[in-house]
Amino acid sequence: MLEIIGLIIKISIVVGVTQGAVAYLILVERKIAAFSQDRIGPNRVGPLGLLQPIVDGVKMFLKEDVTPNYVNKPIFILAPFLSIVTAMIGFAVVPFGPVGPNGPGLFDGPIQFQIAPGIDIGLLYIFAVGSLAVYGVILAGYSSNNKYSFLGGLRSSAQIISYEIPMGLSVLGIVLLASSLDLNTIIQWQDKNAWGIFVQPLGFFIFLICAFAETNRLPFDLPESEQELVGGFHTEYSSMKFGMFFLGEYLHVITVSFLVVILYLGGWDPPFVSLGDSGWLMAILKVGTLITKVLAMIVFVMWIRWTLPRFRYDRLMELAWKRMIPLAIGNTVVTALILQLIRR
Amino acid sequence: MSVQSTVRPEWTVVIDPVLQKELEQHIFVTNWPKLLEMIDTVYNWGRRSSLWPLGFGLACCAIEMICSACSRFDISRFGAEVFRGSPRQADVMIVSGTVTKTMMPMIARLYDQMPEPKYVISMGACASGGGPFKEGYNVVSGIDKYLPVDVYVPGCPPTPQALLNGLIALQKKIDGESLADAVWYKPEVERDIPVPVLGPDLIDVRFLEITAEKTAQGVLDAIQADMPKPLIIPAPQPEKAEEPAAAQASAAAAPMSAADKLRAKMGGAKPAEAPAAEAPKPAAKPAAPAKKIKKAEARPSLVWLGNDKLKALSDRLNGEFGAGTSTIIEAGLLIPADRLLAVGKFLRDDRSTRYDYLASLQSVHYEDCIEVNYHLDSTVHPGTLIELRVRTDEAEGKGEVPSLTDIWPGAEFQEREVFDMMGVRFKGHPNLTRILMWEGYAYYPLRKDFLEPYYEGPTKVFDSRVEEGHGHHFRSEELNPYGTNLKIPRGYEDWDKLSSNDDVKGKNLMPGGVQISELETDQFVVSMGPQHPSTHGVFRMNLRVDGETVVGLKPVMGYMHRNHEKIGERNTYLMNFPFTDRLDYLTSMGNNFGYALAVEQLMGDDAKVPERAEYIRVIMAELTRVASHMWAIGFFLNDIGAFFTPALYAIEERELILDLFEWASGSRMMCNYFRFGGVAFDLPKGWKERCHKFVYDRLDGKIDELDKLLTGNEILLDRCKGIGALTAEQAIAWSTAGPVLRASGVNYDIRRAAPYSIYDRFDFNVIVGKNGDLFDRYYVRLQEMRESVKILKQAVRDLPEGPILPGKKSYQIKVPAGEAYSRVENPKGELGYYVVSDGSATAYRYHVRSPSFINLTSLETMCVGATVADVVGILGSLDIVLGEVDR
Repeated sequence: MLEIIGLIIKISIVVGVTQGAVAYLILVERKIAAFSQDRIGPNRVGPLGLLQPIVDGVKMFLKEDVTPNYVNKPIFILAPFLSIVTAMIGFAVVPFGPVGPNGPGLFDGPIQFQIAPGIDIGLLYIFAVGSLAVYGVILAGYSSNNKYSFLGGLRSSAQIISYEIPMGLSVLGIVLLASSLDLNTIIQWQDKNAWGIFVQPLGFFIFLICAFAETNRLPFDLPESEQELVGGFHTEYSSMKFGMFFLGEYLHVITVSFLVVILYLGGWDPPFVSLGDSGWLMAILKVGTLITKVLAMIVFVMWIRWTLPRFRYDRLMELAWKRMIPLAIGNTVVTALILQLIRR
Repeated sequence: MSVQSTVRPEWTVVIDPVLQKELEQHIFVTNWPKLLEMIDTVYNWGRRSSLWPLGFGLACCAIEMICSACSRFDISRFGAEVFRGSPRQADVMIVSGTVTKTMMPMIARLYDQMPEPKYVISMGACASGGGPFKEGYNVVSGIDKYLPVDVYVPGCPPTPQALLNGLIALQKKIDGESLADAVWYKPEVERDIPVPVLGPDLIDVRFLEITAEKTAQGVLDAIQADMPKPLIIPAPQPEKAEEPAAAQASAAAAPMSAADKLRAKMGGAKPAEAPAAEAPKPAAKPAAPAKKIKKAEARPSLVWLGNDKLKALSDRLNGEFGAGTSTIIEAGLLIPADRLLAVGKFLRDDRSTRYDYLASLQSVHYEDCIEVNYHLDSTVHPGTLIELRVRTDEAEGKGEVPSLTDIWPGAEFQEREVFDMMGVRFKGHPNLTRILMWEGYAYYPLRKDFLEPYYEGPTKVFDSRVEEGHGHHFRSEELNPYGTNLKIPRGYEDWDKLSSNDDVKGKNLMPGGVQISELETDQFVVSMGPQHPSTHGVFRMNLRVDGETVVGLKPVMGYMHRNHEKIGERNTYLMNFPFTDRLDYLTSMGNNFGYALAVEQLMGDDAKVPERAEYIRVIMAELTRVASHMWAIGFFLNDIGAFFTPALYAIEERELILDLFEWASGSRMMCNYFRFGGVAFDLPKGWKERCHKFVYDRLDGKIDELDKLLTGNEILLDRCKGIGALTAEQAIAWSTAGPVLRASGVNYDIRRAAPYSIYDRFDFNVIVGKNGDLFDRYYVRLQEMRESVKILKQAVRDLPEGPILPGKKSYQIKVPAGEAYSRVENPKGELGYYVVSDGSATAYRYHVRSPSFINLTSLETMCVGATVADVVGILGSLDIVLGEVDR
């Protein structure tokens, strides 16, 4: 019983924090845009414009929700929900802090900083759930009955399916090293040995590129590419339905940033120092380290957006199939070989 | 319910009455209105601080709207920088620029697609009331004729600050709104706007019946029949008849002044005797003493083949194709229509002539004929410009000449324009449809006998607007029986066939496509524009795509057609300067330059430009080039997906240049700075120093910075190399100009090919590319900025003291009769002005050879086979400005 209550508390914390964070990430994005363009950015509502996300939210909720009569209504309404839900459920296996018997105690057991602790196929789960996200985009593009949306949906399906492959292949290296699909074990391995980025630089690189593509961020934001397709898959969406795509996109950025940090940047392992195993203080430090890294990662993703031009659609496919997949396979084979040799 | 009843009794007992009052007033919700007020506060606060504009720019004002997002003004402070491409996600529509009839149905549709609550800001004079283009036959007299406007921002164009002020005004207006009376919650209030129909004119379906009734009565025709008509002169005849020609011209001019007087006397209101619609009225009674009209030296342009060589060429043509093939008229060759194709082919292919470049094509409506004339130049022997004339039947819709598209494909759009404006048919043209107006429009507007709906007289200022002595001004709406800019031929009957779902502009321009893949795939047509984030204004392309690959493309234009040429025929010469500013609104100084040169060519020595003015002109023109190329590069990068950052960096430099312009001329964008024979004002004190500092200390570094940050970027190279390539032959054949032509490896820059002003004194290189792809176009522009800086450095250094005008400032310009074609190398390419003068106060014919428009002719060739993303990049690399494309 207590476990279930704990679970519900954890879920609500994660949902609440991420949803709030998403709103503020939009502000952060706008401020970063302003910074890279020599501007000031929103500053009229609240100090430093801090209430801007709330204002935008209020407005979005109060906007008329147009459902054009030429759309495929059930799918049109379903799509934005799918987009948010698929981005959210990935958090179930993300270790936000230490997981295991040594966690800080509360009531009658250690706290696990993970909604579903002990899932040993965590990585697979994230990939499985992550690939569902494309449905939101495809269904939106298809149901809108709009040519721009349709092109956006087409692009998205091709892009996300293509990038799943090198992404999956690229993490095999670190999985082989850590000998586990459990995210927590992978962090612990990095804690003991070295960060993934140092032992798997190529894997990290491919994963990072795929992460951009997965989240539809520039230079890979082809499904919505404003200059070509106006709004891409969400051209016909208004009000909060559009807002949900917005939220979904940023949630996705958060999930992916968590993944990059967990797989390659040592998770909650801070650089240069080694944190102890038990106690509240250590746990909080670890959570703090993880969150800081994730935030830095998110800022990096945003920074890229405001500096690079966009790939062309066919070049993007070429990049995935002709360069990254062979590289990722090579990376896996070489890692496996070296591992075999060392273990002998 | 009363206020007292909701007050709880315990409060009256326990709490200090003062405090209680305080609480009631400010803390507790004691009644409905108060609750509502509190909700309203949040409700309004949400909307006022998050106004996302629709990314939708119409004309010049759109440039200032974009500038309001740049670092100097930063509209994002108000949370309003999120320009949405889709109307579904926008809160406020900023109608930024001239609303044309062709565009109006689209605007109404966009407005209807916006979700409630929605607001409209009418930005600029044009959107608010028609502005300077109000008399145009294709201009809507203010967006408020159709949409409910919340805030008007005055100015032409309003500066970004003014737009911000408008935004704040809108916020204040929102503050005053309340849930209780919000119209969008009232189902009984119809907020959607019925989409107007493009029929014989733009028809507002709300007033369909009354329009039909008034049309049947023919009220407008009756009124216009009484007005003084514009003069129509006979076409110039061969040399030997010089005496009669001059006499004719003078005879023609005399009734003109008589007509002026007549109109001045009658205030344009009193009915005159002749209801002549066909025969121009002022044929009789040259009451005023016929004064001799001065004739300008006959030459097609300042730099041309020359009289002797033209004679030789004419004789050669007569020898080659039989006598009568070529007659020299006013230094142009009159060719009979049936031999035009043969002559054209000969001129293009013969080694000694090699007239491979069709510089310009236009038409003039004379009393006895419609003349189509062609300015030809050679890229092999630059500066040997000649003019060909072909004459055809004057009667409406009867004229026909052979199409030259097989010889110079660049004639395609220009011929369509002549067809659209004059009704001349071109035999053999691949797709002869209206280009600027829409199919079904009732008139050929550039014919001299077409009077616009708001026509009041042949020359502005119309005195009929002012009732002498009463201080009352008539608005032109009051003088038109429809009460709006509308003219429909009396016999029009098909009222019930009008439908707002008809895509009148685009339906004849559906690209056919070829099957490209072996797989049997479905192709579909996407209409990009006229409202689209990267069509650089209200340009539209009908794309046929197979997946992502473009298999067919047809450009659709005319959404910004604001009748520049027709208005130019009503303006006096001087009055037309500010209109040229608004052609390519990014390069107003350059536009002024070209127009000044054209009229100066006619005026000859009367308008000899003093040294200082020449230097100032060059400085201004080159600063314009830098500003325009900055903009072009920035937005090209934007088009290939770099989100505004390069554009905003480029705009920063442009802003500094605009500061210099503003200081010298008084206006940031619409400088109106040139005058015939010089410039309007001398440079203010300190200007030269500031310019010196800017040119010597800053620009080079900034150009290098752009170069360093952009040129090596792999994604940029990947997107640009080999895309949209034009070979040199293609580029010449399609009559492309400017950086587009030079990027293809053709060394043709008007500043060198046909030097004007004092460009021959400066040391600079003509930048030439190699492959003619997007990268070369980008890089040519970048390098050209360097060359411009080089010129600027020399010009600023050598700027002499002295007068800036040959004589006194003059407001009455006397322009000798004749015709002139001036060419300047504007940032976008060759800008040409073709002016025919009859010796009166206004130009008889005024045509603009606009580089943006003609460069678009090659768009289809470049895009077929590319992808959707490339199309956007290719369009960006052409660097079009819609004010100039559609004029």
